[in-house]
Amino acid sequence: MIPRLQAVDVSRTFVRTRAVDGISFDLNSGELLSIFGPNGAGKTTLLKILAGVIRADEGQVSIDQKAVEASDRLWRSQIGIVTHQTMLYDQLSARENLLFYAKLFDLEDPEDRIRESMRTLDVLEMADRLVGSLSRGFQQRLALARALLHDPKVLLLDEPYAGLDLYASRLLRDRISSLKDGNRTIVLVTHSFEQGLELADRIAIQARGRFVFTALNESFHLTEFEQLYCDTLQECGV
Amino acid sequence: MKYLSVVWTVARKDLLVEIRTLERLVAMSAFSVLIGVLFHFAIDTSLIRAQTIAPSLIWMASIFAGMLGLGRIYIIEDENRALSGLLQSPISLDALYFGKVLSNFIILLSIVVLILFVFAVFFNLSFPGNLLGWTSLSAVVFLGVLSFVSIMTLLSAVAVNNTMGESIIPVLVFPLLVPTVIHTVTATNRIFANRPFVEIEGNLRILAAIVLIFLVAGASLFRFVIEE
Repeated sequence: MIPRLQAVDVSRTFVRTRAVDGISFDLNSGELLSIFGPNGAGKTTLLKILAGVIRADEGQVSIDQKAVEASDRLWRSQIGIVTHQTMLYDQLSARENLLFYAKLFDLEDPEDRIRESMRTLDVLEMADRLVGSLSRGFQQRLALARALLHDPKVLLLDEPYAGLDLYASRLLRDRISSLKDGNRTIVLVTHSFEQGLELADRIAIQARGRFVFTALNESFHLTEFEQLYCDTLQECGV
Repeated sequence: MKYLSVVWTVARKDLLVEIRTLERLVAMSAFSVLIGVLFHFAIDTSLIRAQTIAPSLIWMASIFAGMLGLGRIYIIEDENRALSGLLQSPISLDALYFGKVLSNFIILLSIVVLILFVFAVFFNLSFPGNLLGWTSLSAVVFLGVLSFVSIMTLLSAVAVNNTMGESIIPVLVFPLLVPTVIHTVTATNRIFANRPFVEIEGNLRILAAIVLIFLVAGASLFRFVIEE
């Protein structure tokens, strides 16, 4: 099977800190990889490299076995990214924000796509409200709507639950779960073991820029994984 | 066509945000009017001819108003990390740069028009009386503003990923602005003195060359300063 998303020996150094250090993985279509790790492990940097927001110093990222060239910006249309920052403009309405991104991605029938995307994420009734006036939960669902607008093959989620209350968090998790439709490959970075394990097909623990543990998520229980996580980090001297 | 559409989409978004917040326009307008009022009281026009000193003051006010507002063009992108969203989109980064230049140009042009009006009122400036004079003045304003915003848009991006923040902008911008200032002020002086067009033509040519150099350099270097 051809992997949908592949990273081979990806590294990135900031001044003297090696934020990402030789990370490699393959993800097939429909799989979800949850990445756990302490603060400063380089998880967000890894996601930014996968999203093309920053360049890797070494290594290569491929989508459907086509190497991603940093200078070629078109491959970005195959990727959607959601972080705990919404990447939306507070002074624009929800619809204006999505329309802006739809134009950047050169989508056909942008109005229809926006309506469909907002309906899927259950934010249609907020379409004409300014983003700055929406609750954090709505903003985050809108951020997911923005990331899905161009129907990306790869979805990158960096702490999407940060700052959400339990209800909003559950709602968002349900939406992410419904995106596991077999066609999309998802990478989720989270500190929440419960949510990360619940959705994951594969799991990885990242520390000091490296994947120090990877496994298929077949039978991990929460407490068992918590112990494994702490033991692994201890072994790494974190 | 698609390229121009992206440029306009970026500029339109910036202008829409500015119109809703009026953050930069209000600060720049207030500053411009204040400068006009201050110089009106500070300069004795019975001793110094207003026509002689006004062009320098007009461009000084324009540049400082520009420094005040245009450096903040990336602040709206910093909010909610919207810049990462832009960088993750498939648009070319030079289109993003030109979109920012266009929105900055429209904002600063409106401020320069206000400054001209303020100085016309306070210094009783007499504007050119013929079409050629008006065309020359429009060309100087157009090229002067465009050269300033093209370099300002590039160098303001340096502040985004820099620990010194906005304080680094004047250090980088002022030395590069020297040729622009010399030729805009000289040309404006000659226009207000009703000198023949041949005396202004040379300044306009040099300003056009500066604009071209700044725009090409800005579009080529933008990705190096905007990407983390």
